[in-house]
Amino acid sequence: MNLFVAAFGFGLVSMSVIAIAAVGFTMQFGITNMINLAYGEVMISSAYLAYYLNKAGISIWIGMVAGALFGSVFSFLLNRLVYAPFMRKGTANLGMVIVSLAVSLMISNLLLPIVGFYSVSYQEDPGSLIRLGSIALTRDQIIVIAIAVVLMLGIHALLTYSRLGKAMRATAANPTLARNCGIPTQRVIDSVWLITGALCGLAGVVAALNADSFAIANGSAFLITILAAAVLGGAGQPYGAMIGAVLIGLITELSAAAWSPEYKEVVAFGILVLVMVLRPQGLLAKRGALAAAG
Amino acid sequence: MNTYYAANLLIYAGIDIIACLALNLQFGVSGIVNFSFIVFQAVGAYAAAVLSLPPDTANGGFQHYVGGFQLPFPIPWIGGAIAGGLLAIPVGFVVLRKLRSDYQAIALLVLSVIANTVITNADKFLGGAAGLALVPPPFSDRIDPNTESYQYLYVGITIVAVVIAFAVVNRVVNSPYGRSLRAMREREIAAAAIGKNPVNLKMTIFIVGGVIAGLSGAILVGFIQLWAPSVWLYPETIILFAAVIVGGRGNNIGAILGALLVPVGFEEVTRLLNSNPNIANLGPPNLISALQWVIIGLLILGFLWFRPQGVRPEPRRVFEGGAD
Repeated sequence: MNLFVAAFGFGLVSMSVIAIAAVGFTMQFGITNMINLAYGEVMISSAYLAYYLNKAGISIWIGMVAGALFGSVFSFLLNRLVYAPFMRKGTANLGMVIVSLAVSLMISNLLLPIVGFYSVSYQEDPGSLIRLGSIALTRDQIIVIAIAVVLMLGIHALLTYSRLGKAMRATAANPTLARNCGIPTQRVIDSVWLITGALCGLAGVVAALNADSFAIANGSAFLITILAAAVLGGAGQPYGAMIGAVLIGLITELSAAAWSPEYKEVVAFGILVLVMVLRPQGLLAKRGALAAAG
Repeated sequence: MNTYYAANLLIYAGIDIIACLALNLQFGVSGIVNFSFIVFQAVGAYAAAVLSLPPDTANGGFQHYVGGFQLPFPIPWIGGAIAGGLLAIPVGFVVLRKLRSDYQAIALLVLSVIANTVITNADKFLGGAAGLALVPPPFSDRIDPNTESYQYLYVGITIVAVVIAFAVVNRVVNSPYGRSLRAMREREIAAAAIGKNPVNLKMTIFIVGGVIAGLSGAILVGFIQLWAPSVWLYPETIILFAAVIVGGRGNNIGAILGALLVPVGFEEVTRLLNSNPNIANLGPPNLISALQWVIIGLLILGFLWFRPQGVRPEPRRVFEGGAD
């Protein structure tokens, strides 16, 4: 039984990592209507940036901030230079999925000659173990959980109380109507890519820190877990993605304890299939933060 | 240019043409973005392999797999085709019924990654990460595969398979059924409103495409004699998408052209570049193969931007019987 309690502790860390990533992903989709399949590769790029900073002797926490900034600028440019022009041209949703997959392939293969095939890990002392019953977490893991909690509260505050957040929700619900009401939707969409890109970059560093070692091939594994969490919660719904992250994080860690850690993504995929068969609209399809009221 | 090289080129071209015809039927004609296309090719290859391999205790038992039936040609190829079709049923049932078309695409992409992970980790099932080796090629009990005449024979049976695949997809595309498919691709709701059942249409095409993809996998594994998870990673599907987009979506001749330009052409160019030591040693290792993927990505973006209809656009079909 202790094994499962310990796994619950790891589940808390996992869900924090997934939540940061999945909320960013789902907001991109919900507000800009773009399924950004290059999300996992942007995460990996930021993780590598932090890795090189870390190698140069800079603390991983500064690397995390740098990763977030990098992800933010990278995602913004990706939208401005690639996605937005294709969307303006009237490329259908399906075409956009192909575009983003092509971009994802290009990022990982531009990165590959620079960083190489092999796994790397951060030089970071995870700090002393902190015990709570059978749950034992390192200081770093607790910091990760704290970052996730603060970010989720921040996203909630942004969407609920700020003018920008309200404008985002309006844009998500009906872009044309929002524009006619005087909301500068273009600026709103730009800021969405900046904010979600920061979440994406930060999530990349956090995920790499949590995974002990990472390689370029991890990008697709990240993406699958994020997709599972986002679809489970109802794609485009930030609160849904948070719930999805909690469930996916817990279930994958518990199954890793009960079965085999190799199959974490397979379990995430199993959940994805179940959701797609039983409730394709996800858990929170009707009344999420981004849906119109009522 | 010797016989082996020419045979190799022709067989790869044949396999890529069959695969592109199947993908064009699904993606170009019917609008199903099958991002797990390579999985259907892989399942055909695995099925053909275990149907033609001896039981896994043979060869000193160095590899582990289920089956091992040692059946003669053409049973492995037929089995590969059937396996592709059978896999399409549960996948189509989950993916094609309720989901929005872009969800379908990401679900299939995820399936492709996961299927690879599962087969890699399940090392007793189909050889795991190491895969299956020493797969007996067709007729190997009667003709030595290392002879020139065998190469001609394999080219011959590949061409027969290409002709059959082309005849089937052409028949479908030019029939009234093909018209329903195009109607569904252009506007699914309108097609449904005039009594076409989009789910049935998609399921059928998914299965037909799966059968053809399975066949292409069976031909490939019979030729290269080995099969492993590393040869069917999801980016392989993207090459085939690039081929269909470049060649011309919805045009079978375009799909053939795309198959010759993209997968075959790229394979040859990388091989030529790597055979030149001055270029091959340039920069970090894997630079050329990495750049190849970047160029495939650029090709997709470039064609979608400048010429989305491809080199050979889909013919505009005009109804001419209205005058009388």
